[in-house]
Amino acid sequence: MKSKINSLLIFSIIFNSFSLNSQILKNITTSFESYSAYYMDDSKTGNFNSENRFRSNNYLNLKSNINDNWNVELQIESYIPKALLNFSPSFKETGLSTFKIQYSSEKLNLNFGNFYEQFGSGMILRSWEDKSLGINNSIRGINTNYRLSEKISFKALYGNQKKGFEYSKGYIFGLDSEFDMSQMFQNNYSLIMGLSYVGRNDNKIIGISYNNTTNLYSARLDFSSSSFYSNIELVNKSNDVIAQFGKFSDDFTKKGSAFLFNSGYVKNGFGIDFTFRRLENMSIYSERDNFGNEFNESIVNYLPALTKQHDYSLTNIYVYQSQPNVSFVDPELIKVGETGMQLDAYYFIKKKSFLGGKYGTNLSLNASLWNNIKGDFDFSNKKYETKFLGSGEKYFSEISLEIRKKWSAKLNNIILFLNQFYNKKYIEEKFGEINSNIIVVETTYKLKKNKSIRLELQHLSTKNDNKNWSAFGFEYNLNSAFSLYISDMYNYQNPSEEKKIHYYNMGGSYSKGINRYSINYGRQRGGLLCFGGICREVPESNGLTFGITTSLF
Amino acid sequence: MHLNYLKLIIIFLSFSTKVFSQTNIPAVYVKTTDGKSINTITTLNNNGLTVYSFWATWCIPCINELDAIHNKFDVWKDYNVKIIAVSTDDARTKRRVRPLINGKNWKFDILLDENQNFKRSLNISGIPHVIVTKGREIIYRRVGYKPGDEDNLLEIILKNSKI
Repeated sequence: MKSKINSLLIFSIIFNSFSLNSQILKNITTSFESYSAYYMDDSKTGNFNSENRFRSNNYLNLKSNINDNWNVELQIESYIPKALLNFSPSFKETGLSTFKIQYSSEKLNLNFGNFYEQFGSGMILRSWEDKSLGINNSIRGINTNYRLSEKISFKALYGNQKKGFEYSKGYIFGLDSEFDMSQMFQNNYSLIMGLSYVGRNDNKIIGISYNNTTNLYSARLDFSSSSFYSNIELVNKSNDVIAQFGKFSDDFTKKGSAFLFNSGYVKNGFGIDFTFRRLENMSIYSERDNFGNEFNESIVNYLPALTKQHDYSLTNIYVYQSQPNVSFVDPELIKVGETGMQLDAYYFIKKKSFLGGKYGTNLSLNASLWNNIKGDFDFSNKKYETKFLGSGEKYFSEISLEIRKKWSAKLNNIILFLNQFYNKKYIEEKFGEINSNIIVVETTYKLKKNKSIRLELQHLSTKNDNKNWSAFGFEYNLNSAFSLYISDMYNYQNPSEEKKIHYYNMGGSYSKGINRYSINYGRQRGGLLCFGGICREVPESNGLTFGITTSLF
Repeated sequence: MHLNYLKLIIIFLSFSTKVFSQTNIPAVYVKTTDGKSINTITTLNNNGLTVYSFWATWCIPCINELDAIHNKFDVWKDYNVKIIAVSTDDARTKRRVRPLINGKNWKFDILLDENQNFKRSLNISGIPHVIVTKGREIIYRRVGYKPGDEDNLLEIILKNSKI
């Protein structure tokens, strides 16, 4: 590793001296992000038992516009001495993480190297990066995007998916087309149709009752007018072997499918949206034996939970994760996918009305319900027949109401009420069901220009699982650059005395322009940690963390 | 090990502190709320200032910032400035964008950057993130939002809208 760092040092000296007078490197942008931690022993959550108390993740990104048509981009990542806790062990040491050469003209866009791409809503293909979750499933290969006209465009891609600093053995190839048919209408309507195909070839796990290549087809239609919109997407996945306890057998293969319908109506001061989605046996990985890996490596498609994404700590304890898989773990715990719906409504109570006051009031309502798919299951013979409509066991439901109220030029409130049902048995394959109610009150008070305080009070009440929680957060913004905060969450009714733990955190940040430096000390709650609809099981920890993000433009 | 870490930070910072400048908004494709693909270049206010505010429906400080700008929209309107709220919501939450902006009565232009191509091309690591351009040239950037930042932004607009 030492030699790698030294060669990087030499590279940086050459690069930095060369770049002073080079035309090619004139239009370069760089960004640097660093997240480090020093883990400590904790009398409540236990000692730090792994090696390397100090750990850090570092990302340096360089982009260069050589000329109007050509771009080069590379990202160097360094995990020294080791990656932060909860990151995949395949992120190790220092190395070139992604590299891309791009040619773009008005009609044609060509990418060689690592690229991020999405077809439709991502149900058959999405490659993306999320540093906080340790996800980078970019595809290395070739990706083209050709715009035949204003109305018709095509995409094609081929490559392997990134796993840490390595690549999956399986291949991904895909085609996507989009047709804008809006000219069929006189009015301001828009109608767009898309057809896609994705193939995954994996020669590592092979069998006689299924092909090495799994095919996914999708068709979508998107209609929109000034006040009404609707879209629909259908996906079909070809017969593929189903993983059970990490094993694959020729006598358990199934097809998969997805159906998504969404519609909404909007006008000034009001908006409503409805979504229905059904997923049956829809997970796909570029290597079959990566199925269900906790680091989400080599995931080909994106099937997020369609529930409201919350921002407060207590609202993120019982978070639904989508259930797209077949699981014949136990005769009492059979899953073949999920079916459900979500409704969102937003309403603005006008200024100067009785409930609106001087500044008006914002209301937002969300409701969601997710169930197992209805069907006939034969556990011993691993057979099932499903129905398109109807629903099986309830996985999750939630209703929330958020009220945002500005009282004066200085005072703001956000009040959130939430009622949840969480079926831990089905979602996490553990025990129990949880009914909970959460209330959050957030108050922001502006003391003077750029100086403000923010107080967050939260409470979760439930008779199940670990019982009640309370939490608070206090933030003091000293000026436009400095900010300090302190927060705590406390499971004060936990049936076990030693688990009544304060998860306190305190820290501060300095940010100016594009640079941000932060420091934090505290305890991390164990359990499921979720961001952006993706969840991961994390252990409890205690430590000091630092973050740097900086870039030059 | 710690020496290696320090070495690495020096190397990395030496790159990022080079006085290079990306002056322009990159040309990438984003979508309008009715699903059409458009090039970011065509979204610019060519004769004046453009403010791109990168946000998401789940990001509370982002919404606080856009609400704050919305509440002073009458003042902003008087300058030759185009405000574009770039939603980075992905497939999980993007369906909430249209009802939310209507429910809030926001009058900004909205762009959808679903797989974050625009965000990535500008090396944006976290949101909220605000970018101000004059023509195509980037003249100001800020990460994060604290109450009152909207007034600082307005000052930058005032300063640069005088020709």
